[in-house]
Amino acid sequence: MPVLDTHLVLAVVGIALLGGLIGLDRTAAGQFMVSEPIVAGPLTGWLLGDPIAGIIIGVILELVWVLDMPIGAFVPADATISAVSATAIAALGSTGSAPLPVIGFSILLTAAMVPATMWADGLIRHWNSRLADAVATGAGPDTGRALARAHLSGLPVFFLKSFVLYLVFLPLGLAAVAVFYHLPEHVHRAMSLFVKFLPLVGVALVVHKLSMKTVDLFLLSGFVIAAMAGLVFHAPALIIVLLSAAGGWAGALYRERRS
Amino acid sequence: MQSIGFAYAIEPVLRRLYTDPAEYESRLRLHMEYFNTQPYLASYILGAVIRMEEDRAMGRNAEGDVSALKAALMAPLGALGDSFFWGALKPLAAVVAVALLMTGYWWAPLVFLVFYNVWHIGLRAGMLFWGYQSGGDAVALMTRHSLMKTAKRFKLITLTVLGGILGMVPVWRLEFQPMVAWSLLLTALFWLAITTALVAVVRRGGSPIQLMLGLAAFCLALAYAGVIE
Repeated sequence: MPVLDTHLVLAVVGIALLGGLIGLDRTAAGQFMVSEPIVAGPLTGWLLGDPIAGIIIGVILELVWVLDMPIGAFVPADATISAVSATAIAALGSTGSAPLPVIGFSILLTAAMVPATMWADGLIRHWNSRLADAVATGAGPDTGRALARAHLSGLPVFFLKSFVLYLVFLPLGLAAVAVFYHLPEHVHRAMSLFVKFLPLVGVALVVHKLSMKTVDLFLLSGFVIAAMAGLVFHAPALIIVLLSAAGGWAGALYRERRS
Repeated sequence: MQSIGFAYAIEPVLRRLYTDPAEYESRLRLHMEYFNTQPYLASYILGAVIRMEEDRAMGRNAEGDVSALKAALMAPLGALGDSFFWGALKPLAAVVAVALLMTGYWWAPLVFLVFYNVWHIGLRAGMLFWGYQSGGDAVALMTRHSLMKTAKRFKLITLTVLGGILGMVPVWRLEFQPMVAWSLLLTALFWLAITTALVAVVRRGGSPIQLMLGLAAFCLALAYAGVIE
């Protein structure tokens, strides 16, 4: 377990800078989905020398938050901050590759971060709407220039929001992980099991949003295709995924023709 | 919400079209009114509004009401874009990438980015020109591209790939594999049963955070009960 040293402080600040930049992709610029946990998690893990932690955290948080959509005035959870923070806390809080219980505990910590990120996003949106009103009602010689200033000011503001949150979350998370190492073995076992179950929670959340049925026919079809291809024909995973997708496509066309 | 962004995007066009500073100013202020839609499909509205502004500046359509056009388009395109991009394309790209990443393909995030952005950038750029050419005929847009039908297909494929993920338990990375010493088929069936039970739990209500906290408490209870070693 590392102690607070210059290397750790630099790593925290570096991740805060990187996370702030990646976070711009969420709403302020581009929206190319680089900020999604499945990209941001592995990227952070790879940069910190622990890609496996990034992959596990990225996969789980992607499934959990992928359908938390920014519709209307709803402010979704900032899954980018969750993924980058959890990966950084797991990687920096461990010597070598992060063990599974620490990864599980880091993911659990994001449950506390999410409300704070939503609150911060709400504040930014409120500021954004006031800024729009100020530009629209303000009298000036060059409205175009004032508009450009107001529009581009969104970039540093969104960056600062993420940067500050990382500077708060990462040290607190690292302190929590240091305490976690001293907790009883039962807690560590529980966190290992937590990681194993979390992808299923993610799958359940997506199924719930996409289907009206608890036992969905398309889900079962995909299961049967994959189980047969994998267990009977020993097909590689890539082929199994393609077969599942092709089966879904054929099923969708069949349903369209029937209806 | 997106009024400043819309005005910023159309400002160079207005500057070129209206040489009279007072008229330029009044047209620019007009575009700072309330505007909110799905950000990618905003380019369709932008194209249609540019066409209307051009016609107005050339004296071809002096009565053209850009506010009415924006108001008429932003809600239906918002619903269409939310359903297609956030509700169908992103989950499909993500679930395919998750399936690949869980089975050891490290390049899965690149698949996610390429698959998503081919649609995203293609439609975002195309919509600007289609909006300009059609003058904002949303019915023609929906007839031509049938995004709703594609969204439905994507959602069904996503569900099938999710089932595929559960059926692939034996080839998951070790970190994800369940800690049981059963046959491969039984393990996969057990994981499918747990997922179905979790769907039933989710249907009763509760946020993802509550689910995560509940699951952590459940795992702690199992550990202290001595069920897991």
